[in-house]
Formats: sequence, C-alpha cells, structure tokens
Amino acid sequence: MIPRLFTARRYVLSILAWVGVWVGVATVSVVVGGKLWTWDSPAQLRNVLALRLEWVATAGVVGAALALAGLAFQALLRNPLADPYVLGVSGGAGLGFILASLFLSSLLAPAFGFLGALVTVGLVYAIAQRRGRLEPYTLLLTGVVANVFYGAAIMLVTALARPAERGDIALWMMGNIGAFGPQWVLIGVMAALVAAVGVLYAFLAKGFNLVAAGEETAGSLGVRVGRLRMTTFVSASLLTGAAVALAGPIGFVGLIVPHGLRIVLGPDHRRLVPASVFLGATFLVLADLAACLWEGASDRSLPVGVLTAMCGGPFFVYLLRTRWRRAAEVQ
Amino acid sequence: MMRPWRRAAVVAAGLAFLGAGLACSESPPAGPSAPGGERPLRILSLTPNITEILFAMGLGDRVVGRSTYCTYPPEALAVPAVGDTIHLSLEKIIRLEPTLAFLVARPEAVRHDATLARLESLGIRVVPLQADRMDEMLNAIRTLGRETREEEAAQALLDRIQGDLDRVRKQVAGLSRPRVLFVCPMSVGSSRVLVAGRGTFVDGLLDVAGAENVYPDEANWPTLSPQQVIALAPDVVIINAVGSNAPPDRVETIRQSWASLTGVPAVANGRVHILTEPYLTIPGPRVGQAAERLAEAIHPQRKEAPSP
Repeated sequence: MIPRLFTARRYVLSILAWVGVWVGVATVSVVVGGKLWTWDSPAQLRNVLALRLEWVATAGVVGAALALAGLAFQALLRNPLADPYVLGVSGGAGLGFILASLFLSSLLAPAFGFLGALVTVGLVYAIAQRRGRLEPYTLLLTGVVANVFYGAAIMLVTALARPAERGDIALWMMGNIGAFGPQWVLIGVMAALVAAVGVLYAFLAKGFNLVAAGEETAGSLGVRVGRLRMTTFVSASLLTGAAVALAGPIGFVGLIVPHGLRIVLGPDHRRLVPASVFLGATFLVLADLAACLWEGASDRSLPVGVLTAMCGGPFFVYLLRTRWRRAAEVQ
Repeated sequence: MMRPWRRAAVVAAGLAFLGAGLACSESPPAGPSAPGGERPLRILSLTPNITEILFAMGLGDRVVGRSTYCTYPPEALAVPAVGDTIHLSLEKIIRLEPTLAFLVARPEAVRHDATLARLESLGIRVVPLQADRMDEMLNAIRTLGRETREEEAAQALLDRIQGDLDRVRKQVAGLSRPRVLFVCPMSVGSSRVLVAGRGTFVDGLLDVAGAENVYPDEANWPTLSPQQVIALAPDVVIINAVGSNAPPDRVETIRQSWASLTGVPAVANGRVHILTEPYLTIPGPRVGQAAERLAEAIHPQRKEAPSP
C-alpha cells in the first residue's frame, strides 16, 4: 500500500517547520548583519535593529515573491529555464518603474512596475506561441530579446537623465535591499500579496501538476487551462512588479529556489508552493546577509542582485545541460 | 474545478485584505525626537562645498561625518566618510550620532525625499541646502551660520569672499570681455563635452573674471558636440580637467583633441587653457581663488592688484 504522503496534518507541520527555519535565519541575519553586540548606546542599538529588521523583512518578501513567480512561470510555460528575470519580466517592471519615478510620481511607480511586468508577460507569450503551443526555444529567445530591448531602453533613459540621477538608476538596476527610504507600508502590502498569491497557488497546485504533464492532458482532465494561465500570469506579474518596486530587478532567485526544491522534494507543486515561499525568503535573506558582511569587511557596498546573478548564471548553465533536454523531449 | 477556484479567490482576497490592514496599522519606526538646543552639535556634511564652508567657518571639529567626495580641506580626511549620494551607510551614520545633517537639496532626484525621511527617522535634524549658484552659495553660508549658531563666523566668511571677488573685479575692470566657453570633458572615449550654461555657478565666476559666457542659454551644464562648439566660436576655451582627466597623459590627449578644431577662434589663436584646479567648479570658500585663476587665463595682460 502506498503511504499517504499528503495529509492536512503533514501540510501544516511542514509549513510550521518552514516558518521556523525562516524566523531562525532572519534572527541570525538581524543579529549578525547588524553586529548587534558592537553598539555603544541603546539609541544606536535601537536604530540599527530597526534598520536590520526592515531590510530582512524586505529581503524576505522579495525573495518569496520571486521564487513563487519563478515556480509559476516554470509550471505554466512548461519550461525549466523560465524565471521573471530570464523572461524579461523584471526588465519590463524595471523600465515601467524608472519611467514612472522619473517622469510621474514615485508613488505611482510600483503600479507602473506591475504594468511593465504584465505587458512583458503578454508580449513574450504572444510572440512565442504558435498555434496555441509554446515552443521552449522560441520562448527563451523571446525572453532574451525582451531583456536586450529593455536593457537598451533603460540605457536610453539613463543617457537622457540628469547626471545626478544616472548613478541612482545604475545602482537601482543592480538590485538592492534597503537602498531606498523607509518603506514599511510597501513591505506590508507586499507581504499581504505574497500570502494571498501563495494561498492562491496552493489551491492551483493540482492544476499546475496536470499542466506540467501536458496542456491537452490537463484540459481533458477538466482543468480550465486558459483561465489557469491567465490567473497565474497576472498574479506572477503582480509579484514580480512589486518585488522590482521594492528592491530593483534581482535575478535568478526564481530559478535557483524552485529547482533546488525540485531536486529535493520532487515535482509535486502541492509541496513546492509553500516550500518556494519560505525557501525564497530564506535564500534572499542569506544573500542579503552575505552582501552585508561583505560591506562590513571591505567597506564597499555589494548590491545583492549582483550576488544572486553571479550564482544564478552558472546554475542556469547547469539546468540547461541537465533539465533542458528532458523538457525539450516532452514537447 | 469550479469550487476550489472560488474558494481560493475568497481566501486570497481575505488574506490580502487582512495583510493590507496590518500593513497600514504598522507605523514606520519612530526615531527619537528632534534635538533641542542643548545637545552638543555633531554635524554630518554630505556635500563637498558645504564641508569646505564648515571648515572655513572654523567648525571643522564639529563635523563628525562626511561624504567620500568631501576631500577638502585636507583635515576633512580625518573625519569618517559615510558613503556617497548614491549609497550611504546608515550603520556608520548611526554610529557617529550626528545631530545635524547638511546635504544638497535635489528635490527632483528620485531618492531625495526617501533619504531625508530616513535620516530624520534616525533623530537627525536634516537641512537641505541649495548651493549650486553663487547667490545660493552665499545664502547657504548664512543658513549654515544660523543652524550652527555661528552667525559671526558666517558673516566673516561672507566678507572675506566678497573681498576676494571685488579684488578680481577691480583687476579686470575696463578690459574687453572675450567670449569664453567653460568646458568639462566627459569621461574617456567621448567627444562630447559638458559646458557651463547661463545661470550656473561658473557662469557667475566668468562674469567676475571679466568674460562673457559664450553659451547663450540658461542651462545646467548642457552637453555639446564638437559641431556645436565650432558654431559657438568662442574666443577663449577653458577646459577644467579634474579627477580622472587630471593626469598629464589625459591632459595631453585633451589638448590634442582640441587642436584639431582649427575652425574655433580660441584654437586658432592658441587661447585654449587646460586648468587642472579642482576648485573652479566648487561653489565654496575658494571662489575668489577660482575667479583669480580664470582671470589669469582670460586676461594675461591684466595688472595684478596686491593681495591684502
């Protein structure tokens, strides 16, 4: 008899375990990254503590959002190399955000970031599909082209911007935790969004599993594929847009985290969805801690997006050499 | 498949609502209240010319933090640097416990308000200053005097600066006013140049030094192509090579690239001057020196008034 791996009790317990892991890592990051034992006065300690808490919270929600978005894109596009950054969605969000904050108001910027993300998903999807089918090569190439285009557009904006703003834009494009001003409201909205989309995906997980086996199969088993796709794309774009608004385009979290989990947990999205949320949060908190320790040691700031991209590049090659073949054969 | 969908939507919407509510009730971490007059003055200066002014006012020992760009006077280097306008290390700022921060007001910059809010949340009184033009700089000195309660030192500095400028004005009084282009070369590999537009600080300096700015429009350091430079036909070109442009080999490269523009009167008459003094574009206590240096290049025949 096959043991029942998937019970409500196990589910709740695993989520509690994940919460425990995240809280543990977050605490270590606050204490170690803030060097909380080295401060002279209570006022200094309080200020540093508040700062570290804010940055750890930022890293947590952004990491969770990106991992979740990556997982959803990979499931729905049936492509192991799909990721908000690789597909150009982060770039679209970045362009929308920068244009809005330069020419409109910085309050509207997150909304335009979302708009940029959504338009990009729609475009990439529309360009890459042929007769209702998505070709994996075409999809990735479309993503590459979208990235190149957005890169050029952002360079154009940078070239036209006032010299004083160029540095800001360039640094922002690298992906930073805590480079901007106090933003607890944005973090709160983002946390609510991550929670809401996480729950949504937990309910959609069966659908993801079926779609991963093939869209026709899923359709014949009663999944409304078109609707599932629409819901997922809009919510994943929302996550990406919000993450970019909070921390700039941070790459490859949506690639590293879900795949790392697939290696350990297998392909069942019912387990991958909650695990991605928490491992994504943990991963980016750790990356931010590494960047923070680097800054403490070398006196130079290291944008966390640079760090994740440098880990993500080799990982992408690894996936290309191992998973890609299988995915292409499935098609 | 209908039910789970609907259920998911309801739960998701509920969670989002709850989270948003929590987020709104959560206020940003409140810093300690603004300092009263009794706390000792600990100044954070995030702009080079303001750091220079503070040291010239004799307040150098009150400056506890500076930006990495604040490298003059040399004593300022002994003050800990906390980063630049793009990346400030907030941990370092907290460590220094400043009570008063001066920075340049750039209301149009993307992160300006955020930086102000962040510093204020740490209990620091933040004073944004406009100090890009001559008159703004003089006003900024007055503001600095008021904020630090050193009005007399501020007035003394203002008097000294006015004296310096008047001395240069006297030297060039009555001489013809050549049409001058003031240029900052861009980084290596670009043939375009930044020039001082009307209304900039350097524009004011050119006036003091007995010259007319050949660039006709109000503009904050516009970028010009070589064709536009030829069209302006300046009598004198002053190139300010500082930073990465200051090494002798770069200066030589710049000299050669200008030598090819023979259609420009300044080039034809050998009146292209490459000056490497870094203070020519800094609206600070050394404006008198800067005006003097410009006058020396523009009016080599002027009679030098004895320095007081």
